Amino acid sequence: MMRNDPIKHVFIWPAVLVVLAISIFPLIYSLTTSFLSYRLIPPIPPRVVWLGNYGTLLQEPRFWNALFTTTLIALIAVGLQYAIGFGVALALNARVPGERLFRVALLLPMLLAPVAVALVARMMFNPTMGPLNQFLSQFGLVNLPFLTNGHWALGCIIAVEVWQWTPFVILMMLAGLQTLPEDVYEAAELENASAWQQFWGITFPMMLPISAAVVFIRLIESYKIMDTVFVMTGGGPGVDTETLTLFAYQEGFKKFNLGYTSALSFLFLIAITIIGVTYLALLRPHLEKRR
Amino acid sequence: MSGQGLTGLSPWSRRLVAAGVLAWCLITVFPLYWVVVTAFKTPPGVVGGPTYIPFVDFTPTLQPFIDLYQGIRGEFFRTFLNSTIVGLSAAAIATAIGAMAAYALVRFEFKVRLGAGLAFFLLALGGYLLFNTTFAFTRPQALLLAFPIALIVAVIANRLPLPGPILGNEDILFWFVSQRMFPPIVTAFALYLLYSEIGRLGFQLIDSFVGLTLCYVAFSLPIVVWLMRDFFEAIPIEVEEAAMVDNVPSWRIFIGIVVPMSMNGLLATFMITLAFVWNEFLFALFLTNSRWQTLPILVAGQNSQRGDEWWAISAAALVAIVPMMIMAGLLSRMMRSGLLLGAIK
Repeated sequence: MMRNDPIKHVFIWPAVLVVLAISIFPLIYSLTTSFLSYRLIPPIPPRVVWLGNYGTLLQEPRFWNALFTTTLIALIAVGLQYAIGFGVALALNARVPGERLFRVALLLPMLLAPVAVALVARMMFNPTMGPLNQFLSQFGLVNLPFLTNGHWALGCIIAVEVWQWTPFVILMMLAGLQTLPEDVYEAAELENASAWQQFWGITFPMMLPISAAVVFIRLIESYKIMDTVFVMTGGGPGVDTETLTLFAYQEGFKKFNLGYTSALSFLFLIAITIIGVTYLALLRPHLEKRR
Repeated sequence: MSGQGLTGLSPWSRRLVAAGVLAWCLITVFPLYWVVVTAFKTPPGVVGGPTYIPFVDFTPTLQPFIDLYQGIRGEFFRTFLNSTIVGLSAAAIATAIGAMAAYALVRFEFKVRLGAGLAFFLLALGGYLLFNTTFAFTRPQALLLAFPIALIVAVIANRLPLPGPILGNEDILFWFVSQRMFPPIVTAFALYLLYSEIGRLGFQLIDSFVGLTLCYVAFSLPIVVWLMRDFFEAIPIEVEEAAMVDNVPSWRIFIGIVVPMSMNGLLATFMITLAFVWNEFLFALFLTNSRWQTLPILVAGQNSQRGDEWWAISAAALVAIVPMMIMAGLLSRMMRSGLLLGAIK
């Protein structure tokens, strides 16, 4: 039941005002700046170039490289997070032995500062003094170039992302699994359906809506990746692991190329929107069929 | 809630599944164990190669923490205080006003005309351009002038019978949550420029408590509104209706009945927000430089300054991690009681 009482404005306006002020201001600000040629160092008076900044950016290989790197990290990391997270959630839901103990430990990584996690990862991946090197040495793989080779570094960043954010998938999937009705499984038992058939026939389809939401959240969040890369490789070697946010940071905060950075931010926003809309459009028919 | 999906498995495959979970658990815990152990090592204990067990492999020492406290590696104590103050106040404010908004969205009906929303955006944009280019105001002045004008016009326009769709509570909620989709770099960078221009007008926001907290409140609000809405929806409405029959005003119903009934939800939301603010890096990087620097910035700085001084790096990382470890323990206890369930469905 909905009430109608003038006091509702007192309840909702503080939050709306704060969010409006902090999100619309910068939006307008960077939208207008993105059409200017505007640098702080060296100081040049702003000049209107319309879509000039966007044109330059779209011809810049470094931009495409950053977009590709970010997409690669996001897709692989989220795929792995989903697979591992769903698996572990299924196991926890089936009451594997020691399940209570696991829950606390499994929740931990997602609450830790990505910066601190990345520092720890740097130690783990150290090619001479790290524990991983010692472990792999026993198999004859000594001093692997974990963070100094482009492909290895990308792999390490993905590993850290998976380590940190799989718990989020576990948490959400577990909550979803616990809401599934039991009678369907009892019926399947009677039909002698195997565990494998039960999973693909019942669990997976019924979990599709929550899966879609979890993957969506993780995908959008992964595109913003910055802290981990900033500490682990700084975008290096060269620009091999440079992500979009890091690229924007370098251009804006190191070179103070304001117009260019604003245009970059907007392209980023457009890219995220396209990805989000495509994802939802691809998934919609599947979700509606199951309702 | 019995074991679904795995009931058909043989004992042998159950053991296999348990082994898999155990393996993932070990992968999760080992780096944490490693950082805890390394923080108590002496310099020779680190350089000599990996060692794992205290008192057997190496002799633990408290020296790295003493160094931290004495400020040899940056002002750790003050930074810790900064993080605590900003984290607690941002989380408290965000939870308070976010809960109020969430309650309003659950219990009251709102109607916003799409036309009014568009009018707001266009007026804010146009007003800003007009004041800035034609009347030669500085950019923050132009923004501060355009914003209230656009807002007032939009509120009035909302009452007029404009054509176009009318947005309801669900759409307002979607607007809140969609703020989270924004790449933070878009906002962080623009906010940095805006703050520094406001600073030139004499009101310092860069590297200040107000500036940082305001920004964190705004960025926590989407999550708070989203989580709290589900908690409030789960509260039975009968209690509130009984109070309304007795003519208790709405704000007293909220503070006296609804808030106590959803205390667990508020606490969980508060802690999730606190964790988010505590760990946040990008905004702190842009908006602080010395006085109000937060822990993630200082911790990230250890890397470039200190090369391979792992004992110091580990101690620093541990200081940033431990409060959140304690919270994980508290949260998982709440999770077990099924508290977070409602937040997700």
